[in-house]
Amino acid sequence: MRKTEIPVSENLGRGHLACAGCGAAVGMRLTLKALGEKTVMVFPASCWSIIPGFWPYSSLRIPVVHAGFVTGGSTASGVRAALDIRGDHEALVAVWAGDGGTFDIGIQALSGAAERNEDFIYICNDNEGYMNTGTQRSSATPLFAWTTTTPVTRPNENPKKDMMAIMADHHIPYAATATIAYPEDLLRKMEKAKRIRGTRFIHLLSPCPPGWRIPSERTIQVSRLAVRCRVFPLYEIENGISYTIQEQSRAVPVKEYLKLQGRFSHLTDQEIDRIQERVDDEWQHLLRKARC
Amino acid sequence: MAKQIHFNKASEMPDVSTSLGDMDWNKTGAWRTQRPFYEDKTPPCSVACPVGNDIAGFIQKIAQGDVEGAWNLVKEENPFPGVCGRVCFHPCESKCNRGRYDEPISIHGLERFVSDFASSLGRKIKKGSGARKEKVAVIGSGPAGLSCAYHLTRLHYEVTVFESSSFTGGMLRIGIPSYRLPKEVLDREISEIETLGVEIRTGIPLGEDLGLDDLRDYQAVFIATGAHRSRGLHIPGEKGRAVLSGLDLLRQINLGKHVRLGDKIAIIGGGNTAIDVARSVIRLGKRATLLYRRSREEMPAFEDEVMEALEEGVKIRYLVNPIRIGQIDGLKRLECLRMELGEKDESGRRRPVPIAGSNFFIEADSVVIAAGEEIEVSFLPRGMERRDGLVLTERDGSTGVKGIFAGGDLTSSQRTVAHAIGSGKKAALAIDCYLRGKDSEEAIRQILIGEGPAISIFRYLHPDERPRSPHVVTFEELNMDYFEPSKRRREPRNPIKKRIRGFGEVTSTFPEGIALEEAERCFSCGRCNECENCYVFCPDASILKREGIFSRQVDYDFCKGCGICFFECPRGAISLQEEAR
Repeated sequence: MRKTEIPVSENLGRGHLACAGCGAAVGMRLTLKALGEKTVMVFPASCWSIIPGFWPYSSLRIPVVHAGFVTGGSTASGVRAALDIRGDHEALVAVWAGDGGTFDIGIQALSGAAERNEDFIYICNDNEGYMNTGTQRSSATPLFAWTTTTPVTRPNENPKKDMMAIMADHHIPYAATATIAYPEDLLRKMEKAKRIRGTRFIHLLSPCPPGWRIPSERTIQVSRLAVRCRVFPLYEIENGISYTIQEQSRAVPVKEYLKLQGRFSHLTDQEIDRIQERVDDEWQHLLRKARC
Repeated sequence: MAKQIHFNKASEMPDVSTSLGDMDWNKTGAWRTQRPFYEDKTPPCSVACPVGNDIAGFIQKIAQGDVEGAWNLVKEENPFPGVCGRVCFHPCESKCNRGRYDEPISIHGLERFVSDFASSLGRKIKKGSGARKEKVAVIGSGPAGLSCAYHLTRLHYEVTVFESSSFTGGMLRIGIPSYRLPKEVLDREISEIETLGVEIRTGIPLGEDLGLDDLRDYQAVFIATGAHRSRGLHIPGEKGRAVLSGLDLLRQINLGKHVRLGDKIAIIGGGNTAIDVARSVIRLGKRATLLYRRSREEMPAFEDEVMEALEEGVKIRYLVNPIRIGQIDGLKRLECLRMELGEKDESGRRRPVPIAGSNFFIEADSVVIAAGEEIEVSFLPRGMERRDGLVLTERDGSTGVKGIFAGGDLTSSQRTVAHAIGSGKKAALAIDCYLRGKDSEEAIRQILIGEGPAISIFRYLHPDERPRSPHVVTFEELNMDYFEPSKRRREPRNPIKKRIRGFGEVTSTFPEGIALEEAERCFSCGRCNECENCYVFCPDASILKREGIFSRQVDYDFCKGCGICFFECPRGAISLQEEAR
């Protein structure tokens, strides 16, 4: 096996408040290694509103603007404009929002900014629910998953919203999926996004040990299985039309991914089969998009 | 700024709620209920190696492109990598964890590569310095004797090896045909031992020209005279003309002497000597048939060699037991009984039972008996206990006579090159302890590989090296997500037609590129090779890089004990234990 090379610079300090084994903490640490210290981040309400620490402290070694839940896209547009007025075209503006702040509450501001092709990187840290407030369902929660608002007696009947397709239809210059188990892929996409101007969207899957009901040491394994099972394929979309899939050599049944997570422990075999069919269909759909 | 900030008045606060300090004061290590720590463990291959080679260690060196470093590491434990890489039965490979995934690493192939590649670089071993005043005599220049002499020299003793015959190497030279072990390879490795400072005196047999009284100048003696007497079958006719002992025949062939043999040769036995004889006579243009009293499954000869023998045209007749060797019209006529397999005997193999009245005859020009070897006891000093045809020793090789140690085939029924080398090494350590007045049992215990029995002289010489837990890493402790299936590389093999035309080597050494690919397949079980997974995946930036015997360290001030580093370590080199509170 090859040694994984990542930059040694650390822009996430220690003493932060993420839970043990937090996927979003791994994601932030890797992301900042790629984006570098000359980055301003906007945090609409999410886990990462809490994780850096409480005032007057911050474990992040970059400037952060905390923003209202709805306003990721608009606050970042304003920060960009302010920097430009000051003549600082070098500093990078990035949004770090949760799936709630992206798929649900912040979609309007994001859509508006993307439509204007505002110059920032929007990172959706997707842990498939409102995990910071105690695991409520979002429109990123996958089919049949348990949350406190979709209990086992009333499981989530709606499949996950296809956020990547929505962003692609805004014809932004760059959109990509990434996850923490593939650090080199993640770093490459962040660095690529950094070089592009306009709205760039990174859909980052970050497993959440308490919310997904997984042991803290399994975070990376679950992230890896999400890709290998094709629940969360790694791909890029350029200008909304050109798809590139980072295909994995080993495809495994979705059951391997589901059985590790307590939020799926109630599933019947039929439900698992339905999830597998959906995953297969979506994969075929993605392949078709990548071919044309 | 690892401190907390206090405002005495509201006016001291900033107008906008801007952060003023970092979170380093917040020691999240206090959350931890389990503690990860770096702990190198023992790979199963090196536990299985009777020599005690640091297999994962040298293979990782090859993978890093440092073949010379690999050679240095191999030579720490084994003076004969070129020999072992060719003729050892490689029990390491059957224990290789990769075998549970796809196919085991070709450890023997890599060991051979290291030896041959280093010699092609002109790599020479450095001469040792005989700083200690005691002198040690070694009787016998086979693998056990030379291994003992080699390691004693590295422990700074002056060593003289006495060899009864006119050539060195013992069984390695006379017992192993050169199609398996070319004489140049043997000569090369023996000359390296001599370069180190070992003096070998040939033509001095113990008992005749050399009594133990003559060795009064030596403070310790290691006897490794081997097992060179062919065991008889005790059947009528075995002393007749054209009936040869397997070992005698091999000796003549291996020393390049002319042998007179008929065309059709019957070889009695199922061990490695029998196979070596059969394959050798095939190369002399004869026809060879092996007669073995049990079935293929019970055959003590190594599987690979049986296969190669069959490829080369050796016939094997199973469940056949000769009971008389007669003569008819210038031909040997073997009267045989057919056998069937009965209950298991003390060796764990099914006992052959004759079928009454099944007598039949086999005719041959020559008959070779290769039914095992015994030790020569006539010259052994009094006071050395013997049992079941072996000299009895303690675990460290010491005999009942003070200052006299023994090893190799003389003391063990496991008659392999690797066991002989291992026993010579252990005796070297025991002699060092004896001469320094140290407890050898304790010294051995300190440097056992896993639970033993093999030991690491490297760790005896370097007690400050990175510690290694005796825990043997199992397949289940590895993380297979980091390894793609790949095929084991096989050494190039000469075509059969070419093989049987002479005594040239059957296989050839890996080319460098192939060796590198094969080395990269190694899981490096339990041995950190700095893949960086722990550092890359730590959510709390609590894996610190540093200089020293461990290149990584956990920052326990901040580590929350999530266990990601432990789980994502591909090779089980990180342990997790419950936090004591």
